[in-house]
Amino acid sequence: MRINFWYISSFFISIFVIIPILTVFSSFFETTSNYYQILKDTFLLEYIFNSIVLLLCVLILTFLIGTGSAYLVSFYEFPFSNFFKWALILSFAVPPYIYAYSLTAFFENYGTAYSILKNLFGDGNYNRHIPKFDGMIGVILSLSFSLFAYVYILTRASFLYQSQNFIDLGKNLGFTKFKMLYSIILPAARPAIVAGLSLVAMETLAEFGAVDFFSINTLTTGIYNSWITFDDLAFANQLSFFLLLFIFALFILENLSRNKAKYHFNTRGGFRQKQKLKLNGKKSLFAFLFCFLVFFLSFLFPLSQMLYWTIKFPENLFDLQIIDLLSNTIYLVVLSSIALIIFALISNYGNRVTKNKTLNILSTLSISGYAIPGIILAVAFITFIAWLDESVVKDLLPFSIKKIFIGSILGLVLVYFVRFYSLAFNGIKSGYEKINISVDESSYLLGYSKRKTFMNIHIPFLRNSLLFIFILISLEIVRELPITLILRPFNFETFATTAYISASEDLLEAAAVPSLFLILIATSFIIVTSKYILRDNNE
Amino acid sequence: MSKNFFEIKNVDFNISGKTKVKNVSFSIENEGDVICLLGPSGIGKTTILRTIAGLEKIDKGSIELNGKLISSEKINIEPEDRNVSLAFQDNSLFPHYTVEKNILLGAERNKEKNGKKISLKEIVDLLDIFHILNKYPHEISAGEAQRASLARSLITQPDLLLLDEPLSNVDQSFKEEIQVRLKKILNQLKITTIIVTHDSYEAFYLGSKCGIILNQELKQFDDPYKVYHFPNSIEVVNFLNRGILIPAKVTGKNTLENWDLGTIEGNFIKEYPKGSNVQLLLQPEDLEHDDKSNLKLEVVDRKFRGTNFIYTLKTPSNTLIPVFVHSHHIHQHEVDEKFGIKRPIHIDHIVCF
Repeated sequence: MRINFWYISSFFISIFVIIPILTVFSSFFETTSNYYQILKDTFLLEYIFNSIVLLLCVLILTFLIGTGSAYLVSFYEFPFSNFFKWALILSFAVPPYIYAYSLTAFFENYGTAYSILKNLFGDGNYNRHIPKFDGMIGVILSLSFSLFAYVYILTRASFLYQSQNFIDLGKNLGFTKFKMLYSIILPAARPAIVAGLSLVAMETLAEFGAVDFFSINTLTTGIYNSWITFDDLAFANQLSFFLLLFIFALFILENLSRNKAKYHFNTRGGFRQKQKLKLNGKKSLFAFLFCFLVFFLSFLFPLSQMLYWTIKFPENLFDLQIIDLLSNTIYLVVLSSIALIIFALISNYGNRVTKNKTLNILSTLSISGYAIPGIILAVAFITFIAWLDESVVKDLLPFSIKKIFIGSILGLVLVYFVRFYSLAFNGIKSGYEKINISVDESSYLLGYSKRKTFMNIHIPFLRNSLLFIFILISLEIVRELPITLILRPFNFETFATTAYISASEDLLEAAAVPSLFLILIATSFIIVTSKYILRDNNE
Repeated sequence: MSKNFFEIKNVDFNISGKTKVKNVSFSIENEGDVICLLGPSGIGKTTILRTIAGLEKIDKGSIELNGKLISSEKINIEPEDRNVSLAFQDNSLFPHYTVEKNILLGAERNKEKNGKKISLKEIVDLLDIFHILNKYPHEISAGEAQRASLARSLITQPDLLLLDEPLSNVDQSFKEEIQVRLKKILNQLKITTIIVTHDSYEAFYLGSKCGIILNQELKQFDDPYKVYHFPNSIEVVNFLNRGILIPAKVTGKNTLENWDLGTIEGNFIKEYPKGSNVQLLLQPEDLEHDDKSNLKLEVVDRKFRGTNFIYTLKTPSNTLIPVFVHSHHIHQHEVDEKFGIKRPIHIDHIVCF
């Protein structure tokens, strides 16, 4: 094996990303303060119970909404079906914590619902009749409407590649539409549905903003509390470890349940594009209403609520340092995305040209960062820097490195890097999978060196994928809350942290303006990349 | 250093840790010569080309090109530094560039090189690909992609050109024409070429020498005429599938005796003691049809091949023998009819094992 630039770069990039992940695992063996005993005797069971209930409910709801809407827009033609096809992904622009603010703002006593009823029917005691979507139900709804798009996008992409032949086969066997759905269409899309649900599961278990807002104690808030309130990093890490085990158990369970079933279709020859069935009458109305309701609840509702408050309390708009927030957000987005893309590209190419097993294992480990909640990564990062400072750097340097990494842009970008590395790495990897290895070989045989092949052949080919990954990472960073909250420098705010701080001080009206800006920025990112997200052009 | 332009000495060809072809040695004497490697699918022909191109390494033997050692246990010149061009079977055009851009990328190599240059126009005319120049690889057929890939390799004017089943996807009607053009251009430009194919007709036409690879070995490396008429082993006979082996007894310096066909005369290419029992190679063109002959065999099958028919005849001892008959022959025979063989049987060169 030759040790060259590509090998060394890929090796160190992977090691860098793995360090915080390993920190979480190693912490399991450390001693903790008596907070563990206190928690064990009091809230630990509640944390676990709440996490499980939340997870199950969100999974069921996102499955129903995600696959239901994907099925309707993929197989049927009804009014605005083409509009809903991409409009449904706009829900990505609304993070769960902003959805939670909207839900509360609308249904709380004397909230927006009350104002509407008052305007329509005059004064009255409406508060008694307006349902209150707070607590666990509030979290479940916020997460489900914010996250169902994961299931929708992946399931729809899978439906898109189901051949008309399967549908014809079902008809030929005399299946009803319902039987066709549960015995042919859904089983064939199972890996996509499960992949979508896995993402939902990870996001749910990692969610901090919404659960904190509704004061629901889960493992994630437990981690935050053990660190912030009890200053017990080791126990925060141990809780993180449990949470990770939970996530991995889900993956293993699914893999086992699949057994030996195959889901790959040979699309060479015989693949026929599906013909959508035109719906009429009641069926058409039902399909329209279903999709409209999902679109309304997931996107229009929080957007309108935030817009309404921004207009109603315009002083908040002027109080906010919008230019500062925007430049801070853009600064973080550009810095992190570019770093991620460059290093993920190098690492991918390193893996490709060296074909080294060690490198391959390291890369696989390094992409598990996305499965680890942001809050855990932030805590793990602080733990690692503290350890490094105490054990290694203190004897070598006259100053502490904590200030360089903790509460600094550098530290923030580094943790974003670990958290979103898998997005960049996997995105580029799937782009690379479309380049046959013989393309590289042809390039060498035309006299191109490895560097020239990378620059002149690969980069132009991956251009579109890179743009897509850039926007996807930007979208995640704009929405990201816990890492930014924990690691941001003093007086450095983003739209997400400003919204969170206002909301946690019970100033929901003030949270509306940054939330609205966040939704608008995220929406513009989604619109720019919608054709890639929907994979209609086979990208 | 070897005097040959290209030489492989005692090389084991490996891929993914498995040895595909063992202890191979052959050479190309002069610059501009074209040789072909023939063998069944999966035998390791492509591995040989990939190794010569530098994409696979060797741990035994050596490969020299133009007086320079390019591969050995210790030395492996990188593919980009070899000036060897390989046209892959699956074409591997760059998917994000048009066919024209793909070909022009090839032209960037060796633009400094002296001597006759082939232009884009010449190559486009040669391979008849003008109509696809502005198209992307996914917009053209497999045969067109193969021709575009061939064009890209040719335009690099390498020291050694390696073609892996270059015309396997080209339509049969167009294949022969391309073969003629390819032979002409390789000749004109004096590009030393190794072609891998499983089509023996293609190999016999294009190559000045042919190598037969069977059972992990290079079984024979010789002129196409000799490979066909003087195969050096039963495996080569079976692979070429242009004859059968029948039992015979050597009865004299120029004669053999077969139980069904009687006496066979001809020139032995190798001497056998009188009385030896041998396996005689009988090729379809060795026997002549004669309606008046008293040696009659039963027709069990008849294949129409355009210019001729191939009859399969059954001898009294149940051996099946192929015989060519010109398709204009006035009297054709049906299955189950009797078919006369001209006697005495004379074979120009007698090959026995």
